[in-house]
Amino acid sequence: MTAVEAKALVKKYKNKTAVDSVSLTVEKGKLFALLGVNGAGKTTTIRMLSCLSAPTSGEAFINGHSCISETETVKTEIGISPQETSVAENLTVRENLEFMAAVYGFDKAKIKKRSDDMINLFSMVEVENARAKTLSGGWKRKLSIAMALISEPKVLFLDEPTLGLDVLARRELWSAIETLKGKITVILTTHYMEEAERLSDRIAIMVNGRIAATGSLTELEKISGRTGLEEVFVEIAERSSQNV
Amino acid sequence: MFKVKAFAVRNIKELMRDPLSYIFCLGFPIVMLVVMTLVNESIPEEAGMTIFRIDNLAGGIAVFGQTFIMLFTALTVSKDRSGAFLIRMYASPMRSADFIGGYILPMTAVSAVQTAAAFAAALIISLITKTSLNILGLLAAVFFTLPSAVMFIGFGLLFGSLFSEKSAPGLCALIISLGSFLGGIWFDAEATGGVMLKLCKALPFWYCTRTARSAITLDFSFDEFLLPLIIVLICGTAVTALAAISFKSKMKADLS
Repeated sequence: MTAVEAKALVKKYKNKTAVDSVSLTVEKGKLFALLGVNGAGKTTTIRMLSCLSAPTSGEAFINGHSCISETETVKTEIGISPQETSVAENLTVRENLEFMAAVYGFDKAKIKKRSDDMINLFSMVEVENARAKTLSGGWKRKLSIAMALISEPKVLFLDEPTLGLDVLARRELWSAIETLKGKITVILTTHYMEEAERLSDRIAIMVNGRIAATGSLTELEKISGRTGLEEVFVEIAERSSQNV
Repeated sequence: MFKVKAFAVRNIKELMRDPLSYIFCLGFPIVMLVVMTLVNESIPEEAGMTIFRIDNLAGGIAVFGQTFIMLFTALTVSKDRSGAFLIRMYASPMRSADFIGGYILPMTAVSAVQTAAAFAAALIISLITKTSLNILGLLAAVFFTLPSAVMFIGFGLLFGSLFSEKSAPGLCALIISLGSFLGGIWFDAEATGGVMLKLCKALPFWYCTRTARSAITLDFSFDEFLLPLIIVLICGTAVTALAAISFKSKMKADLS
């Protein structure tokens, strides 16, 4: 079953086309990665899919609901962890989680249960009473993802979830993201090859606002005639740049 | 309503956990109350200057304190806008009205607490200086200064919506200066008369102070209380509406 569908999405800012006719389909429960260098259009694409930016043209659907005309419904079905830190700095980890759960209208018992679930899922017991501003980058990212997940979204958007994290924090976060596979649909943007390779069921390689190729790693290796995601990415990106 | 409540609780916690809010919102107005009382004690009785007498000063300090609530509102809104926090919230089911209510309501409550604290300090000072201060009048003033609190919070929301974390406090400082000076808090505008009085009467701040002072003395006459209160209500509504429109249009622009 299709969870996310984009049809010829275009986003223009004055004379610049940030996203150019992007079409993609993500099946329910799958982890889909948008892989590309900085400025490739990954963040703009997920902003359009999460109702944070109106497309210049094209359409997008989350579980069959339009991201343009049914934004209220779509917003109840998605969770997003933006690229930058997006937590309430003076609130504790638990209070941040409770705050997000309250925004979605959960009752007291459910707010507590969901917060407990998230604290356990992301192993945040030791920091649950620490204020967000005192947390390390890795903990903040975990909290940010937990806040996106607390509303029980059907689709989760992770924008560069491990950007700027050290190798240990990154691997810890990967393990947490892997636990979500099969349970909810996840779309993540990244420019780390290893991250896309380890986590994704399918990968879309974005170059200059366009999707240059989509498929599993095996499929992308066949398309490019190269082995390993880094080689595949370089080959496809170069080919795509030559065609422009 | 649950979305407004959730956001308001978050905002009040953010404010309560910022040590600067205690210094500026509670400490500074009370310090000014004490300092100006000392100034008043130094003024010879023959001068006939009553502006710093505690029954006059308390109302002015209440309005002065509200200008700092404006500053903290502007800081909260502009800080939220500068990071990705509001972006996350935009992707939630919260609408612009939920954000606006969530900013205004807790700040209004904090303002009422601030005014009550300043009046409690004023009451103690009045006992020490043996100046009569009506408790009922103080209670009435806590209530009747709420419209001016909303007006200042509206200014804060407006500046926080339109300007950056760095520019918004600067504009607030301008309003703090204008509000305290042309509000007649630090000088007797009516005794001065002339252009100064006309200037004071052209801006809403003077009416805020007048409403507070009249309520404290339980003078609810039309000229001294009702008319200034109506003017404050109109200005408060206009500023808050303008702030709400600005926040909404900024939110729309962020989502375009």
